[in-house]
Amino acid sequence: MTMQAKANLKQRTLMIEASSCIGCQSCLAACKLENDLPSGPRPIAAIQVGPVESDKGLLTQHWPATCYHCDQPACVLACPTGAMQKRADGLVFSDFELCIGCQTCAVACPFGHPKLNPATGKIAKCDGCRQRVDAGLWPACALVCPTGALSYGSPQAVVHQRRMHEAVKITQTFTPTKC
Amino acid sequence: MLDTISLKRKPGTRKGHDQVVSACCQECSVGCGLLAFVKDERIVDIQGNENHPISRGRLCARGIAFVQGITAADRITLPGTRNRLRGPFEAFDNWEQGIDLLAERLRRVKEQHGPDALVIGCDPEAGLDFYLGAQRFARLWGTPHVYHPLQEAVDDALPMALRHATPQSCQWSHSRCLVLIEADLASTHPVAFQRVLQAQRNGTKIIAVDSRFTTTLSKADIAVIIEPKRGNDLGLALMKMLLEEQVLDPTSAASRFKDFKPWMDSYSALPMENLAAVTGLNIETIRAIARALGHRSPAVLITAKHLAFARHYGIWLTIARTLGWHATTGGGWYPLESGIPELDPTVGLEAIEPVVPRCDTIALPYQPNRSAQEALDNRQIKAIIGSGNCLADFLAPLHKRTNDFDLNVYFGSVSNRTRQAAHMVFPSTTWAERDGISFVQDGAVQWSPKIVKPNDACRTGLGFWMRVAERFGWEEYFPWKKANGLADQKTFYQWLFKHNAQTEHLQMDPIVAENAVIYWHTADGSASSPEAGLLVAPDAVSPGPSPDDPTVYPLQFQATRTMAHASELGRRWPLTAELEEALGIQIHPLIARTLKIENGETIVVASEDEVIEGPAAISRMVPPRLIWSQQRMQADRVLVYRKGQAPEEARDRLKAIEL
Repeated sequence: MTMQAKANLKQRTLMIEASSCIGCQSCLAACKLENDLPSGPRPIAAIQVGPVESDKGLLTQHWPATCYHCDQPACVLACPTGAMQKRADGLVFSDFELCIGCQTCAVACPFGHPKLNPATGKIAKCDGCRQRVDAGLWPACALVCPTGALSYGSPQAVVHQRRMHEAVKITQTFTPTKC
Repeated sequence: MLDTISLKRKPGTRKGHDQVVSACCQECSVGCGLLAFVKDERIVDIQGNENHPISRGRLCARGIAFVQGITAADRITLPGTRNRLRGPFEAFDNWEQGIDLLAERLRRVKEQHGPDALVIGCDPEAGLDFYLGAQRFARLWGTPHVYHPLQEAVDDALPMALRHATPQSCQWSHSRCLVLIEADLASTHPVAFQRVLQAQRNGTKIIAVDSRFTTTLSKADIAVIIEPKRGNDLGLALMKMLLEEQVLDPTSAASRFKDFKPWMDSYSALPMENLAAVTGLNIETIRAIARALGHRSPAVLITAKHLAFARHYGIWLTIARTLGWHATTGGGWYPLESGIPELDPTVGLEAIEPVVPRCDTIALPYQPNRSAQEALDNRQIKAIIGSGNCLADFLAPLHKRTNDFDLNVYFGSVSNRTRQAAHMVFPSTTWAERDGISFVQDGAVQWSPKIVKPNDACRTGLGFWMRVAERFGWEEYFPWKKANGLADQKTFYQWLFKHNAQTEHLQMDPIVAENAVIYWHTADGSASSPEAGLLVAPDAVSPGPSPDDPTVYPLQFQATRTMAHASELGRRWPLTAELEEALGIQIHPLIARTLKIENGETIVVASEDEVIEGPAAISRMVPPRLIWSQQRMQADRVLVYRKGQAPEEARDRLKAIEL
């Protein structure tokens, strides 16, 4: 097995189903407790869009916004000290020891995700809860999410779960049990 | 066969700890189970309890952020006093010294103004034991004024046993329709809302009705905006429409219910046009909701707490019973924040006559029998013992009068408006620092042990009343003292359960030892017979909320207590401080354009005798005619303008648009 294939086996994915998000910010509170973050940086947060007027009436959507852990992360390329790194399993994180708080990564990131932690003067960004996942645990945000908008697993497993949800919807359309 | 097994959750903590405490979150009335990981008497991590039947490992932001309240820099750690309301507090050497002075000042108030000059405000933050202890103390003392925002409305038409034959939230998936009336469950109780979404995924229709386009409405299949606080009138309209549409079989119903014919006639006499006008809906919309409801049986009717204090609250139980949903799986009435059984803590004090108020009941939000505003000026109130932040919430009408009081006492954990108005402060434990019973809205009870030890000077609510009662020679009525002098919560609740009909079947030992969730309302089979006679017959539709001239105060105002977010304590913590614009005042873009208000600009909301200020939050969540804020005002009608703008100019501009 190649190194890449071994890395792929380890890969885990945070699945975001925005249609289930209610903007309760449990993910943010859990992330802050996990990483001891003060007010300011938001490694994950549900952004509310709307209400907007449409021909169907008012519409509101919430979107849990967090780091995408890009395949080719601009933040890693831009970091002058090598603090920002990408692990073999895909997680992008900032090494606390090497970070000088210059925020070049924040400028480079197309989503503006990395933010300065005012308490430490270093970058605070989603590191995929690498210490938790190394210990075999789910990331803090996915575990608390009340509505299941966030879930976690191998890419195959989360996609399978998503397909199953859709399959249930379709089967209910054809064989309604309640309506 | 489809494999729909969820991904395997892997819970736990990575943080080093020497103790794990399984507790029950008491930030709201959902009652989620949590595991607190403790190291050296400090909480290092909080995780949901995967085995908890209500929350199944999930927690909301508030259920995590409470940790910061325990170690907040401004925690009150010593009892203190001051002579001037603006000056600093002088700490007592010890708790006993403080209680001595409190007793002396209370005696003086009683001598000068009588016992009923004392008001006691019981915020849920201080614990159920504070409320129960206060009721017991108040009977001994002779005041009828004990207030709690979740206390049950006095309504003989709604016996508790009937009301609590309610479907547990885990049964909502069996329902064909969930109707949420002025209940923004997604914002206030996210963990309970997961059950709504789960039911929706299984094909349950979600109908949500509210005065704003809340997150709950955004997820509903049918979302309807109504006039504020008119939910019960919508209930009347739905019942009338269900009868007109003949969803209910009159012959079968007449055989089941006593006096069915006059009851039905009372709905026939009710003009649908009036109901449509006061709810702000057209008749076709009401018909559409009624049809959706009537053809999806069984349905669960989920109602907000504030509807309990408006007329015809029983309409929801009436609908559930007449349509045969009551006490069935997946059907019935689910009143929010109503999971506490009838507990009378004045057992043994029957010989002491309860005091009848000298004046009308105080006009307070979230209180039963809300009476006319004039009653405020006739009161004889001269002293207050307030917990939590009651003066900024359900005792807000008293806040501006506290300067005239002889004694303001604050029992709480952090600085807030209630403490700022106080002459004396006494530090309280937070729920994570005390053993306690938690009644939750699913009709369950659970024991929650303290997670960490409190500061030596902090007391539980029961401990506070026990100490005060001792000074008046009433220690025999508060016999729940441990060897170390502190209150024994377990023995107290054991005594209380034993002496109350709805809880006498509950045994404390298994509740405590097994850390179990016990459904108290069904555990003894007390769920009522569906044949018991109870039908709300409306007399008339309530008139509009305010007789004020609409051109002087052209906009409506609403302040909602959002249990999960709005606590002042919660807002102050770094974890949650940024979660919302706490002081934001929501206005519709049309109003903002008309008055040239920018987002975030400071605006003033004025009624005849009240004014609040805050940053404008321009949003279509509110309809054009409505102003919404978490800051409380008594008025229903207001004028809004930019700070610095002349009110008359704003009034003229608003006249030019159609609201």
